[in-house]
Amino acid sequence: MSYLEYNTRYVPTGLRKLLHVHWPIVLLLTAVAGYGFLMLYSVSGGRPGLWMEPQMERFALGMTMMIVFAMIPVWFYRNMAFVAYFIALALVVAVEFVGVTGGGAQRWIDLGFMRLQPSELMKIGVVVALAAYYDWLPQHKVSHPLWLVLPLLIIFVPTAFVVLQPDLGTAILLLAGGGAMMFFAGVHWAYFATVFSAAGGLVWAVMASRGTDWQILENYQYRRIDIFLDPASDPLDAGYNITQATIALGSGGWTGRGFMQGTQTRLDFLPEAHTDFIFTTLAEEFGFVGAFTLLILYALIIFFCVASALTNTNRFAALVTLGVAVTFFLYFAVNMSMVMGLAPVVGVPLPLVSYGGSAMLVLLIAFGLVQSAHVHKPR
Amino acid sequence: MIGTLRRPLRPLARILKARDRGENTEEIERENLRLRHEEMRDRARARAEGRLLILGLAFFMAFGTIGLRMGVLASTDAEEPRASVSGNPIIGQRADIVDRNGRILATNFETHALYAQPPQMIDPHYAAAQLVDIFPELDHDRLVRDFTGERRFLWVRRQISPEQMQAVHDIGEPGLLFGPREMRLYPNGPIAAHIMGGASYGREGVDAAEVIGVAGLERHFDDLLRDPANEGAPLELSIDLTIQSTMEEVLNNGMTLMNAAGAAAVMMDIHTGEIVAMASLPDFDPNNRPRPLTSGDQADSPLFNRALQGVYELGSVFKIFTVAQAMELGLVNANTMIDTEGPLEWGRFRIRDFHDYGDELSTTDVIVRSSNIGTARIALMIGEARQRDFLERLGFLEATPVEMVEGPTGQPITPRNWSEISTMTISYGHGLSVSPLHLAAGYASLLNGGTLVEPTLLRQDGPQNGPRIVSESVSRRSVEMLRAVVERGTASLGEVAGYEVGGKTGTADKPRPQGGYYDDRVIATFAGVFPASEPQYVFVVTLDEPIETSGDEPRRTAGWTAVPVAAEMIRRTAPLLGLRPSVELGTLSNVTVTSSE
Repeated sequence: MSYLEYNTRYVPTGLRKLLHVHWPIVLLLTAVAGYGFLMLYSVSGGRPGLWMEPQMERFALGMTMMIVFAMIPVWFYRNMAFVAYFIALALVVAVEFVGVTGGGAQRWIDLGFMRLQPSELMKIGVVVALAAYYDWLPQHKVSHPLWLVLPLLIIFVPTAFVVLQPDLGTAILLLAGGGAMMFFAGVHWAYFATVFSAAGGLVWAVMASRGTDWQILENYQYRRIDIFLDPASDPLDAGYNITQATIALGSGGWTGRGFMQGTQTRLDFLPEAHTDFIFTTLAEEFGFVGAFTLLILYALIIFFCVASALTNTNRFAALVTLGVAVTFFLYFAVNMSMVMGLAPVVGVPLPLVSYGGSAMLVLLIAFGLVQSAHVHKPR
Repeated sequence: MIGTLRRPLRPLARILKARDRGENTEEIERENLRLRHEEMRDRARARAEGRLLILGLAFFMAFGTIGLRMGVLASTDAEEPRASVSGNPIIGQRADIVDRNGRILATNFETHALYAQPPQMIDPHYAAAQLVDIFPELDHDRLVRDFTGERRFLWVRRQISPEQMQAVHDIGEPGLLFGPREMRLYPNGPIAAHIMGGASYGREGVDAAEVIGVAGLERHFDDLLRDPANEGAPLELSIDLTIQSTMEEVLNNGMTLMNAAGAAAVMMDIHTGEIVAMASLPDFDPNNRPRPLTSGDQADSPLFNRALQGVYELGSVFKIFTVAQAMELGLVNANTMIDTEGPLEWGRFRIRDFHDYGDELSTTDVIVRSSNIGTARIALMIGEARQRDFLERLGFLEATPVEMVEGPTGQPITPRNWSEISTMTISYGHGLSVSPLHLAAGYASLLNGGTLVEPTLLRQDGPQNGPRIVSESVSRRSVEMLRAVVERGTASLGEVAGYEVGGKTGTADKPRPQGGYYDDRVIATFAGVFPASEPQYVFVVTLDEPIETSGDEPRRTAGWTAVPVAAEMIRRTAPLLGLRPSVELGTLSNVTVTSSE
């Protein structure tokens, strides 16, 4: 039907597939993860066994899984997309009942050998399901309101469960990732314009109603908004994370204080220094140069993904590649923004750098899909 | 775009024409289908590329924003944010205090305060229990009440040690927080405690706290020490730490040996007025300043500075002032014979001497033997007005101007009615109460060549060159008389080989609170100067209620109590002051001088 429809001329088979794995991406992922190992070593105060070694083991496992997933033909994933989606959804629902509470929110399922965070899996599930849906749907029906119902359900049902956990960060990532998928699939721009202006109008209404009779939010909620806008107004309470993180960035300066020399994290000023706020340690110890280098590494990964998707005539493969790239982008963009005070603090890890098993495994599996799409690209 | 006219697959006109020509119409249909596919593909490609362009733009903007933000943050200075509600910033810094050789007397130490934010607490009960383990003086029930109540903030401890900080940290309670602050540290402990006074916290914030002086120099120079304009330049004192610590040690031993209740000593540079050392016992540790007494006599508190605040009738040490003034007025000279027949009766008063010194003594011997009668007769020659004026010029009627907040409390007690009998008693040191520091300053002014010096605790660059009190020759005579007291008078135990000590003893009965004097309680004082040939330092040693018990009967007079203590003090401090002992060669009798000739 479309130019994205696959039309196999030459597809590598057997071990020959290994030659067609997108090795620059593999290299970049390893570089980013290596950055993460350094930081985990530093944050643990020189105790590699605490966080760095488990992270390395999981990275090795994840890379192996990525290669294995890359060998499987991409159309297998298209056929299995909804199966995967419903398994992930079932796990997200199951978390409500058998989940382990961690950090104040119910997010984990204990599998014995590792603790799984189904909401991470859900991000990939949504991407794959939407890609398969739009691969199947004829192009001219994409913007028809009737055909919007199913993709919206695909996005909103898991989002609702994730919000219940409550895990605001993942919910935002699901919404934004799903929306981006629909945008790539070619849904008419008027829908997006409507949604954005409605959201803008809502924000305006919320802020304008403050102090009037028809005030929409409670006072303490406005107070939180104030603190987000000006963290210094409450440096000890809700603004604490942000102010400490910005101090860390400022104290790092252009070239940083040097490896293992960061004071903010070393002196335990920062909460969760090894997970969501690890970027501050990096910025303090390696300065602007180190932080910007990481940003470049991330940008290159995104660039290679987009380039691969552009040249892929298989619509499902192209959509999956773009979806994974957007999810990846959202991870680090939201994390860095929140650390640097550009966005409110929501629990989003820095991909491949933050300590955390399931996030890293799921991301590497997702890149396995990207690799599969690349390997099985019609040439 | 949806809605635009789609290419018809079988355009009727072309098909009819083709049929006429007998061509296969399916070719046309296939051709149009292909074209339609191509059009759709082009449209889809255009849209997809447009979408990717927007995506790329969004990515680029996001990257740009994040990168820019990184740059902005990296170029800002790291600064601890302050809550916007606080008023003036709290300046935690405080200048050091050093002795005359630059050795630290008071400095600052980085420490932490412990505070709690109950709303952030995870387990207040556990935290309270653990805190009581670390700080046993805390009240567990009160902590639990504070931690579980409405309070959003409370101080737990104002300063904690690094070990305690680690222990609190290990509780792992996020609602327990540490605030950095400076703490005043006196590394020498109780040495020079009364001079330093002490410091405490003023306004306290979580990221700094004001250190303010509460007593002594710290209080007097509080503004100066805290003034940021001084850029931390230390306050340089006239005190010599080595002399001070030696003096305190000797004084403490002397006080124990002589069973005294208290003791004070002052050593002062005779020309500059610099107090080289000043001690009062019992003392305290300014690092842990005791609370003032809430009842009873403040003079019994270790906080009480006997050298400065304690005003006593110091007794015979005053006789030299009387004699010096008489010489200055030309009424007597060193050899004038004075009538010392006793007792001297004046109205209902009788003045006695310790021993009967016969009918008359020379002026020098009045000092050497310490004759009350002789001194009183000289005072009668001087008269009330001139005596009062002389003592006023020496600073005995006002509190000392020394730079300590307690200074004004050392106000002398003068007779309400300065009568003839007052003149006579004051001439030998009764009826006028002054502090040991007054006495030291008076001796310095009298013996340095006769110019007034005021006591100071700050390092001076040169002599004070105050107004003249007595002539140089009178000053010289006075020193010689004091030297004679040690050589052949009441202070013979005060001789220190090589340092030519001159001085005057004074043993004054202590007044009873209800009036009159005790028979068995005295203030024993030895005040003097050394070296006599070229006076450089004056000293005062005062013991409160000493009893020397080595002999057959207890002895209380200064010659047996204060003098040996002062002698030991001079023996040990004079070399430290850089004075060369003058050794008479005649004493080197065992040395055989041989010649190679």
